[in-house]
Amino acid sequence: MKEGPGDTDTGGLREQFDRLGGTYPRQMSASLVLPLLQIVQQQKGHVTAADAHFVADYAGVPPAQVIEALSWYTMLHRQPVGRHVVKVCRNIACALRGSDRLLAHVEKTLGVAPGGTTADGRFTFLAVECLASCGTAPVMQVDETYHEQLDEAKVDRVLEELR
Amino acid sequence: MEITIDDRTIEANRGESVLQAALRHGIEIPHFCYHPRLSIAGSCRICLVKVEGVGKLMPACNLSVAPNMKVATLAPEVGRARQQVMQFLMLNHPVDCGICDKAGECRLQDYEYAYGLPRSRSTDAKHHKRKLYDLSPRIQLDNERCILCSRCVRFTREVSKSNMLGIVERGAHAVVERIDPKSDDDPYSDNVIGLCPTGALLSRDFLYQSRVWFLEPVRSVCTGCSRGCSIDLWRRKKEWRMRSLGEERNSMLYRVTARENPEINGPWLCNKGFDQHKLAGRERTLTPMVGVAPASIERALAEACDLIARAVNPAALVSAQASNEELDVFKATLGARLRVYARQDSVAQPGEVVEDEFLIKADKNPNSHGVRERFGWTTLTAADAQAHDLFLVWGEWGDYDGFGDASVIHLASFARQSDRHADVHIPLSTTFERSGTFCNFEGKRNRFEKVLDKPPLVQHAADVFAQLEAALVGPQKLQEAS
Amino acid sequence: MSGPAAEGVHADNVFMSFAVTSDSHTLDAYRGRGGYEALAKALRTLQPEDVEREVTASGLRGRGGANFPVGSKWSFVNKQSPVVYLCCNADEGEPGTFKDRWILEHVPHQLVEGVLLAAFALHARHAFVYIRGEFDLPLRRLRGALQEARAAGLVGEGILGSAFACDIVVHRGGGAYVCGEESSLINSLEGKKGYPRNKPPFPAVKGFYGAPTVVNNVETLANVPWIVARGGAAYAALGSKANPGHRLFGLSGHVNRPGLYERPTGYSLRKLIFEDAGGVLGGKALKAVIPGGSSTPVLTASEIEALTLDAPSLQQAGSMLGSGGVIVVAEGTCMVRLLQVLTRFYRHESCGQCTPCREGTAWMDDIIARVVDGRGEAADLANLQAIPEGILGNTLCALGDAAAMPVLSFVKKFGAEFDYFVANRRSLYDGRLEA
Repeated sequence: MKEGPGDTDTGGLREQFDRLGGTYPRQMSASLVLPLLQIVQQQKGHVTAADAHFVADYAGVPPAQVIEALSWYTMLHRQPVGRHVVKVCRNIACALRGSDRLLAHVEKTLGVAPGGTTADGRFTFLAVECLASCGTAPVMQVDETYHEQLDEAKVDRVLEELR
Repeated sequence: MEITIDDRTIEANRGESVLQAALRHGIEIPHFCYHPRLSIAGSCRICLVKVEGVGKLMPACNLSVAPNMKVATLAPEVGRARQQVMQFLMLNHPVDCGICDKAGECRLQDYEYAYGLPRSRSTDAKHHKRKLYDLSPRIQLDNERCILCSRCVRFTREVSKSNMLGIVERGAHAVVERIDPKSDDDPYSDNVIGLCPTGALLSRDFLYQSRVWFLEPVRSVCTGCSRGCSIDLWRRKKEWRMRSLGEERNSMLYRVTARENPEINGPWLCNKGFDQHKLAGRERTLTPMVGVAPASIERALAEACDLIARAVNPAALVSAQASNEELDVFKATLGARLRVYARQDSVAQPGEVVEDEFLIKADKNPNSHGVRERFGWTTLTAADAQAHDLFLVWGEWGDYDGFGDASVIHLASFARQSDRHADVHIPLSTTFERSGTFCNFEGKRNRFEKVLDKPPLVQHAADVFAQLEAALVGPQKLQEAS
Repeated sequence: MSGPAAEGVHADNVFMSFAVTSDSHTLDAYRGRGGYEALAKALRTLQPEDVEREVTASGLRGRGGANFPVGSKWSFVNKQSPVVYLCCNADEGEPGTFKDRWILEHVPHQLVEGVLLAAFALHARHAFVYIRGEFDLPLRRLRGALQEARAAGLVGEGILGSAFACDIVVHRGGGAYVCGEESSLINSLEGKKGYPRNKPPFPAVKGFYGAPTVVNNVETLANVPWIVARGGAAYAALGSKANPGHRLFGLSGHVNRPGLYERPTGYSLRKLIFEDAGGVLGGKALKAVIPGGSSTPVLTASEIEALTLDAPSLQQAGSMLGSGGVIVVAEGTCMVRLLQVLTRFYRHESCGQCTPCREGTAWMDDIIARVVDGRGEAADLANLQAIPEGILGNTLCALGDAAAMPVLSFVKKFGAEFDYFVANRRSLYDGRLEA
């Protein structure tokens, strides 16, 4: 569930943070930075600077460290994203098996170029690097799920189910 | 142990890097990201050297010395690697030296001349980043000039511990950024200006004031607190003073840089230290006064001498701003006649850091130690203030109401509107206008050199004491003689 | 999944010794195949140094791409240190590589057992599996396996009733190829950007939070149960002498049956492509092969004739065994556009820390993009030689080399295509990437 921007339910987050923190050895709170950012993103769809400060405070690290990390990992979004994120692989094995075609097809179908979000806020479309599914190329990932051995028809089916 | 760098055999210490050993012996191995007081980044790659028996080039900054290690810095592949690193650094660099203050003291410029190729291999338009904006009220940042050596970030992380700066974004999008513009300024922020090997981080106060090759540094001591950090005050070189510039620009102090002093401040300085040159702009008292009227120095001295001679129970209020040399003269002359009270004239202002675990001390005066050494330390109480019929006030202080009917001789450098008129006022030279020493809170002596000429009617305190003493002794000697 | 090919199952295989079903990944199924017997044997009858000895004797080399002898790496750790950490590198990101994903999906318990055996050998109380953030099913299967293992007393305190204790923490990455580099992984695991570290000090001496740390690839660790069960000498007898064992080779690109193939090292590359994987799509001629993941130098069809899949053979041919990701390219493919796919990748993944990689990867990509756009210049080809030469060997980590080698090898072996593109402002092959 993606909540509105600026909606950091810090109470609910703390619970999730505590639960995660319990799985790590003590005195390793700094290691929680990336997982905590992922929890925030899971809840809100993206992560703001304010969230980063919150995470820094919880993990006991300087805010600078978290802000840097937030800007550096590809999977973390700093701007709101659509309800579904469509990631089409554009790397070598997928390129050899037609990713160009599929990227063009998704662009045409959704009406946005890679990097963009549809006007109705349903889909964010991204071209991504290797997803480690080269044997079943071409491949895309929608939210968590991998969709492999794609053709235009299969892409349509996947997107249709999410409309 | 011994290692060889090119054709020189040098002694090296266990645990140091090839770069450290080389620098210690005055052997130049270029380096941007390495700094002796910061962690090793090993990211600029300009320090790559060839080591006999090793297949690829190694960064000298992260290479521990080993007995009989043979290092070659003149090998063709090293020269090539340096060219290549310079090509990469200059790829998107704006090369706006013509408008960049760093020109003339810029490591990137120096290395490009020494190690780079005359032109870039690239025929593509340069990529742009954020240019010429205010990182803080004190510092300007230009992300295009930045070579991402991370010295500034490591400083704020490891030394000042403010964590004010970070490097965000991945790959070639990386930029140095102030992490939280709303956070308090780092009281040591200006150190990054000297650390920066390019014109990416510049002092806003010094911006466009002068080309550095027209200036020269003069060693001095910061008077901001009892740490007494070594500083360099920069003034225009004599040969570059021109009538067309005007008196102000010919004689002003342009900037302060930290002066390395292993005993006291290392290579660092706090922002208050970086502002020391602004003290030259403080409003001065420039004329001797007797009562409310300006007077000649002779008249003022005569009047003061008279007041001291007639006093039954004279006292002196001595400032912890005084230099050791002035204090010695005072002790040898008037000091024996007067009951000496000590005073720390300067106190922490609102918003100023009082004391920290780094450089800043709570005592905001440069020579409390010097005063205490010579006179002990007696603070003037309200009762004491009533107990004397004469006060020689040496330093910044004008609250004479507590002195009752006592006469006041006031010797000071800076004007204060709140000052009640003393019976005699003599304007004094500042630290900039003479040479001398201070003793810091640990008793370490530090020297400052004269950097400015004093205004014509302003006196050196030592001269005043000597003349007063001479005048006081003179008549007595005559008396003895007769 | 490993693709449409029904992979050959052999009882003596290290990984593919069973038919994959909907529950062949469970604890029960794994135990039914003899799983966790190696662990039991080790905890009951062996000392930690015995396990290390077997692994050293096996000749096992790292399967992540660096091919470093595993026993040697383990030997660098001072086992008397108060704390030792083991990190399992599941950040599979090398283009063309999808074997660790298979292991996590289908034999997660084999990995868990390998992690436990390694932790036992290293005296590591905590082990971390750094799994790439994008993985979905592999993550769920791994978590499921750990849940089962904990419940069965195989992970945690007093494992199998012994004095050995080990907790395994699963840590998800955030989307960064460079985090597959061991020191970058460690920095990421410490809650920072994944900037690689200067070495020395090596992780085995000073790693995670400053403690001795071993980082091993998923496939590497998944070999360990077999080695402990049957002995290092038995493993050393598999495959080629110089780097023994079985590997999961991934075939992708223009082949009829892409997917994973478990084969002994030293296997014929030609045979793998033309027999096992069914040859080139559409019966086309072979043009090029990238033998070990995108970072390995490309080989022409004639160059792979006599090659065997072992390090010496591939090194002699001017390439590398790498991660075992064999990417097949058919005749008619535009190598210029294909190179652009790679330069774009390395540019995106460069961490930004060191000068040559940060600036060089962007520069190379800019040039290729211009060539592909029909605006190539004569100087570009010389630059596509000079720039990677300026990167190779000069960077803080191997990503620089990984970015440089494809450019150097593509331009060297297919220079005529690049010349054509620049001179004629278009591709010799209409920009074709599909077969």
